[in-house]
Amino acid sequence: MAGEGPILEVRGLVKHFHVGGGFAFGRQAAVIRAVDDVSFDLRRGETLGLVGESGCGKSTVARTLLRLEEPTAGKALFHGRDVFAAGERELKDIRRRIQVIFQDPYASLNPRLRVEQIVSEPWVIHRDVLPRAGWPDRVRELLESVGLRREHAERYPHEFSGGQRQRIGIARAMALNPEILICDEPVSALDVSVQAQVVNLLEEIQQRFGIAYIFIAHDLSVVRHMSHRVAVMYLGRIVELGGKEQVYARPRHPYTKALLSAQPSIDFTGERQSQRIILQGEVPSPANPPSGCRFRSRCWKMQQVCAGEPPPLAEGSESGHRAACYFPEGGPARA
Amino acid sequence: MPDNAAPLLEVADLKIEFRSGRETVYAVNGAGFSVRPGETAAILGESGSGKSVTASAIMRLLQCPPAFIAGGAIRFKGDDVLAMPLNQWRRRCGREIAMVFQDALAALNPVFTVGWQIAELFRAHGERSGKKAEARAVELLARVGIPDPVNRARDYPHQFSGGMRQRVMIAMAIALGPDLLIADEPTTALDVTVQAQIMDLLQDLQKEIGMAMILITHDLGVVADVADHVAVMYAGRVVERGKVRDVLGKPAHPYTLALLESVPQLQQNSQSLRPIVGSPPDMAAPPSGCAFHPRCRFATGECKVKLPPKVAVAPGRVAECHHAKSVFNGG
Repeated sequence: MAGEGPILEVRGLVKHFHVGGGFAFGRQAAVIRAVDDVSFDLRRGETLGLVGESGCGKSTVARTLLRLEEPTAGKALFHGRDVFAAGERELKDIRRRIQVIFQDPYASLNPRLRVEQIVSEPWVIHRDVLPRAGWPDRVRELLESVGLRREHAERYPHEFSGGQRQRIGIARAMALNPEILICDEPVSALDVSVQAQVVNLLEEIQQRFGIAYIFIAHDLSVVRHMSHRVAVMYLGRIVELGGKEQVYARPRHPYTKALLSAQPSIDFTGERQSQRIILQGEVPSPANPPSGCRFRSRCWKMQQVCAGEPPPLAEGSESGHRAACYFPEGGPARA
Repeated sequence: MPDNAAPLLEVADLKIEFRSGRETVYAVNGAGFSVRPGETAAILGESGSGKSVTASAIMRLLQCPPAFIAGGAIRFKGDDVLAMPLNQWRRRCGREIAMVFQDALAALNPVFTVGWQIAELFRAHGERSGKKAEARAVELLARVGIPDPVNRARDYPHQFSGGMRQRVMIAMAIALGPDLLIADEPTTALDVTVQAQIMDLLQDLQKEIGMAMILITHDLGVVADVADHVAVMYAGRVVERGKVRDVLGKPAHPYTLALLESVPQLQQNSQSLRPIVGSPPDMAAPPSGCAFHPRCRFATGECKVKLPPKVAVAPGRVAECHHAKSVFNGG
């Protein structure tokens, strides 16, 4: 697992979407600040969980890393090469090593293709990976490794359940032996009883092949289960980053604390109800986020300083546990 | 609530089928549970388990055909709901029983203002003055925690966020002070912090009005947080019921046990999850015997052929399983 240097270093990632304007004369074009100044590292074989509520920018981070969206600013160094500056040929090579699985297993598989064609499509694009004669066997091997049967290769996506389709998506992502797998809400569309199957499969694959995951989800329990480290996002910024124990057991940012307390859980000790923090109001629009700390409009610790400069993502008393807050839990940031 | 109070709502052996030319889907297959005044009962189940169809049947919202009530009874305050003339039942809906749906955007009319839609409810139930009806609508919006209610009443549904829309739905449901509120996945489409706000609001209102609530959900955490009683549904049957703490603390049905083992916990580091093998059954051709048997690690030959009896494992605890006693005792 960890120990060596990071394989992916994201620095100051910014993605702004420009909306409106166009032919609507006289109307000011709005800027949606979907992701603002996001930095993190990903090490070989680790899982970095990315949590946050809808609209916090977690999926946009994933999409810009794959260059499905062009970033507005920032760098993403994959083995030292900047993904965002890569030319067409270099990008093709990078994409071969960074694969993705999506949330909706119904939308992400072409209904007109048989599973065999779906899983072997990466080799059509990346010609040099595997000679054509080897495709049929490799497809069936991959299907078996994700818990499907060899004969499933002959079928069409509609013949499978949601959980099975997600497995097909995973097999397709594995076809190129990636180093990084970005999982964008891979289990949220699945039934509870099926979720665990996919979660276990992803863990098994990681152990076998040492792939690093960026695991995006809104379900805090699933993220805790899957991740080694966790980044909590709010309105386009990372507000807290640390080992999963640090973030879950000793949250420092007020938002993390509120988020954890709001998650319903099966726990009858009775302490939780009294500790529940119900946030007032709603997430502000990313088109017009509060100045300074973006969480300040809903924060019970808000002071004047919070409206000024945005708080830096600073380390506290524990190494590797960072929070972007002027008044974090467990004392202020280390100087 | 006293445990011996007469039930407010009683569903007994309910069977609902959807018949199309080609096949019949047995959506509900003999479900039974009851709700006492003032209590919160959760119906827990995965998609396709029949929980929402049961709720729609209680409200008599099912389109028949294709739906067909093949058996069983629903009694509300002792009256047979299914036998009652529809217009008589409609008059009681809203006043005595109301429902909140998951998709608030689909449940609201996009071409009328929110204030108008709420006021419509008062007009339909006898308020003659339009002004008064609108004033009451504004009052109601304030009560469910919508800021600036006077102006927001003039907005259309699309101008509200998901959480606010759900508040509007709740406002409409509680407007006439019902005795029973059915909330069908009221927070599933919402973010956790907003979900906490909505559940908090529902619980406050429940205390204020003293109404009972049926909470339909797939989320074990939500059930544990808010409900008194729970009925676990699988393949159109209530496979286990009892007090929430008892059922989730010491399950007697293998499905409940398996569900608990397959979800990761927030508080503790879980080891490898123990998934439930296979997938939920196709209800056009449900498995014979106990519908859970193909996925059950306790299953024996008996389970494949014989519908399990209702086994009372403890006072107030019923599980439909041939092996309920041994599951309950940690077998």
